[in-house]
This record gives sequence, C-alpha cells and structure tokens, in this order.
Amino acid sequence: MSWLARLAAGAPAPVYPVIGEGAQPRVERLFASAALERAQSPRAAALLLVSGNIPEAHREALDRVHDQVPRPRLGLHWEGDDGIEERLLDAWRTLCAGATGDADRLPDEPPNPWEGEGDFGQGGEGMMGGVPYGRPMAMTGEDVRDGLELDRYTARVGPFAPMLPPGLVLEVTLQGDVIVACDVLSPPYPQPEDADDPALCAARMLRLLGLPGPADRLIRGGAAHAIGARRAIPRGLGRLENAGDARMRFADALRGRNGGAADGIFDTLIGLEWSEAALALASVTPSALRQAALEVA
Amino acid sequence: MTTALLVLTLASTLAVGAWLGAWFDRLAPLLYGGRAAGPLAPLRAGAAALLRPRIETEAPDRMNARLAPGWYLALAAAGLSVVPFAPGAALIETPVGIVVWGSCEALTIVAVFLHGWSPNAPFPLIGAYRYAAIGLPVMLPSMFVLIAAALPAESLSFTAIVESQREVWNIVRQPLGLPLFLIVGLTLTLRGPMDFADAADIAGGTSAEDSGPGRALWQGARLAMLVSFSAVAATTFLGGPLGPALPGPVWLWIKTAAIMALTVAVGHGVARTTPSRMLTILWVVLLPLSFVHLLVSGVLAL
Repeated sequence: MSWLARLAAGAPAPVYPVIGEGAQPRVERLFASAALERAQSPRAAALLLVSGNIPEAHREALDRVHDQVPRPRLGLHWEGDDGIEERLLDAWRTLCAGATGDADRLPDEPPNPWEGEGDFGQGGEGMMGGVPYGRPMAMTGEDVRDGLELDRYTARVGPFAPMLPPGLVLEVTLQGDVIVACDVLSPPYPQPEDADDPALCAARMLRLLGLPGPADRLIRGGAAHAIGARRAIPRGLGRLENAGDARMRFADALRGRNGGAADGIFDTLIGLEWSEAALALASVTPSALRQAALEVA
Repeated sequence: MTTALLVLTLASTLAVGAWLGAWFDRLAPLLYGGRAAGPLAPLRAGAAALLRPRIETEAPDRMNARLAPGWYLALAAAGLSVVPFAPGAALIETPVGIVVWGSCEALTIVAVFLHGWSPNAPFPLIGAYRYAAIGLPVMLPSMFVLIAAALPAESLSFTAIVESQREVWNIVRQPLGLPLFLIVGLTLTLRGPMDFADAADIAGGTSAEDSGPGRALWQGARLAMLVSFSAVAATTFLGGPLGPALPGPVWLWIKTAAIMALTVAVGHGVARTTPSRMLTILWVVLLPLSFVHLLVSGVLAL
C-alpha cells in the first residue's frame, strides 16, 4: 500500500446512504453517532450503504445511484445488525488497499434512444425543448411571477435524493430556482413510528439550514445550539390548515412535539424556491408526508 | 532575495493556513458536543480525495471544469500577495491593494459560477446561479467597508492602512467593519449562512459532481481563500503585522488564525436562510448599513 493509501485509510469512510422501507431512523442515528462521513452526493462517496427494503420499481434507480459512485466502490447492505460502523470502515480500508470493488450494474449508455426530431435532432423547437436521450431540455414558458417567457426545466428528483424523504419521487418543473409544476410520482417509503421522533424531524431541517453539527447533537439527545435556526425559516412557508407553518412545526419539534397531518403540503410547493420546498417537506413527519403523498400520487 | 523570501512566505502561509482551516473545521464539532479530530485528519481527508478517481459527467465543459479550481486558488494567492507580512513588506507593494483584493473578490464569483456550470448537471448549475445572485450584492458592502478602512489611511494601500492603525486598530474606531466583512468572507469561502453555492438542498451544489483530485483541489482552494480573506481582515481591522515583541509576520499569522477560527465557528453555528430572503437582507439591510458605516467612518476621519 502506498503512503497516500495508508494515509487515506485513516480518513472517515465516505458513505452515501440509500434508505429503503423502515430504515430511516436507524440510518439517521448511525450517521449522527459514528465516525463516518455522510456524502452529500454519490460522486463524493466510495461506499454505498443500502438499508431497508427497496421496492422492485426503484431497483433501477438504485442501480443508477450505485453506478454514480466512482470506481472502485463497494455496496453494503444493512438490516440494523450491530457492527455496521466496523464493516464500513473495513470496506473503506479494503478499497484504499487497492480492491477493484463492485462493477457497474447498468450499461454506460443513455436510458432512452435518440429522438431524431427537430432542427437539431433533439425534439422540441429550434435549439430548445425536447427529450434527447430521454433527458428533458429546458423550454421557454410563462414565468409564474411576472409573465415573462423564461426557460422551464423539468426533472425527476428521487427516490434517493439526499434532500428529500427516502422513496419520494417528484417530477418538478423549475424556472430558475422556482417550482412552477410539481407531481408526486411515488410516495415516501413507509417508516417505523420512530421516524416521527421530533428530534429526528428537527434535525432534518437543521441539515437543510446548513447546521449538521447541531443536527447531530440533537439526535444524540442534546440541545441544538445554533444561531437563527428558527428565524431562517421564512414565515408562512408550507402553511397548512391546523398545522401552522414550517417555522412553527420546527419550533414544536424542538420542544419535543410532533406535527399533525400534512394534507395539502404538495399544493403549497408551487411558486416556492427549491430550497423552500425542501424545507417545507422536511417540516412534516414522514408518516404524515406519506399519507399526503398517497392522496395525490 | 527579498522577493523570493516573500514568495516562499506567501506559499507556506497558504499551505499551512489551509491545513489549519481544515483542522478548525474538524474541531468545530466540539461546539456541539461532538468528537473533534486530530491534526492529521485534514491530511487524511485530502489523501482520501486524491485517491479517488475523477469522474466526468456527460458533455461537460472540460476546460472550465479543470480551470475553475485553479482560478479559485490563483485568486486566493493574488489576494494575499498585496497583504504586508511586515510593515512595508508585501509581495506586491501597490498603492491600490484594496482594488486588487476587490478584483479577486469579484472574480471569485466567476470561478464559482464556472465550477457549477462546467459539469452540465442541474444541481451544480442551480448552485452556480444562486451564488452569482448572492455574490454580487455582497461585493457592494465589501467595497464600502474597505473604503471606510482606507479613509483614516488616506490611501488604498494595505501598507498605509496598517500604518494608520499604529495608535488604534480599525476594529475599535470602525466596530461595524469586521462583522460586515465577515459576511463577505463567508461568501468568498462558501461557508455556513452564505454557502449558497454548495448547499445541502442541492446535494452539494457546484460540488455535487466532483470527485477525486478535482474535489481535493476545489476544497483546498476554498481553504486557501479562507486564509487570504482572514489575512486581509486581520490587516484591515487588527493592525496586520503590528504588535509588541514578536516579529511582524508572526503577529499577522496569529491574527489571521484568529479570524479563521471566528469564520469557521460562525460558519458552523449560524443558520442559512433561503436565497430569496438572503437577497432581501443583503439589499435592504446590509447594503444601507454598510453605507451608513462608510458615512460615519468618513465623518470621523475628517
């Protein structure tokens, strides 16, 4: 092993978690207490931790995330048994020692054939729009704020996107950073009651507010010492009947209280910026969000 | 000979400072009851990143993907080059040091934008545009704060600004200056409440598609910019290399490290609001506040 590899083997293992059914609370607690690095994207990881059941419909998405982790990579399954931290560290050391790791699961080719339409063969009109190779391109449309014609970009986010609840797949149309259309394609996975723990709920919002340290402390049972966390959430964001707004739900979670139903939460996303939408979705409990998603999906 | 020594000093300040900044980041969990890492942790993390392969996205802008981290690092070095390590001893002794630093600040927006633009992927691009939107209004308070510091010195040179603080540091006669400038530093180094380029809601934003040496270089450049910003802040508000007993460079390093620690602590402990709210805060609150700061500083300097 080279000196660089020996040095690297002592670093925290960079892990991207793929959370399946019933695994959210244990994965969140694992990363709050262990000497592991939770990668923000698969590109930043070397290990893929798959925990909980992944429905058949999302196996291809899992394979895609797997292939996005740069090689050499290793995937590990975890069903809640002890010793996962040691297994991850062993896997990381194995990779540093020169192991070739897992092969790609999907062929390195576009998911859809080329659609040879339009002036430049991409579909759509002129040099815009269309879905070349199945990837939707931006196309002009009326801006929801001022009526100007601005680019609209449609993309699917989920089911393993780090800023959304596990399992949730949204098809969002963005104009810049603003959501102008949003469809729920798949609801969040069912999670145990424990996932609604107010500390976990507040910690999810703290991470989105750029406060992973206080979030970890909260999960470990301490107090979240941070400046301006509540005031950083815009007043009125994600306001729901009988459940207040996201700021109020965050304050309630810090006081150890769970929010109520989340009916209508997806309707509040239109017109929000992406960061506001992520905060609004994180402000309701996983069980309430799943119920709301099942009603609109 | 002196130039060679200053080049060596600048390079070692950036390198050692970057390591120190990375260590401060790993000491920050102590503030929240977490475990701190030892001084070797930044080197291990750097080795881990270097060991990983570089991944290329589909149809990237290859030239800018490779150049953006280099630009960022070069801007950090250029900014530090006008800072005097001892009274009158900057690598580039210029009467317009503030203008040079201001240019580095403005060009940082371009470097970060190119970093988000080049992978040809949605989240990095959103991070790039967000940063451009936030970075531009941050530059205005920065200029007001630096011009206010130049008024007592009657010069745009950092050496003259240091000399003007022999009796009293600017942090005493312009107490609003450093807090306002700290916001600039958080923006330039993509930290905490001002990290709109690489935020969690966009999976790491401009860095979402980074891996391997490219990621290591980008993170290294971020830390180098932290060093340069802190050295400029220490020079502008804390008297730079002025101090009793110890040599000038040692005083500058101590003060720079103190500003670095403050920036890291604020970055880890202050919440980041949404981009549109931050824009409102910048234009409606911070810009007028920095103008009032300039006005008061100007009156006091008369």
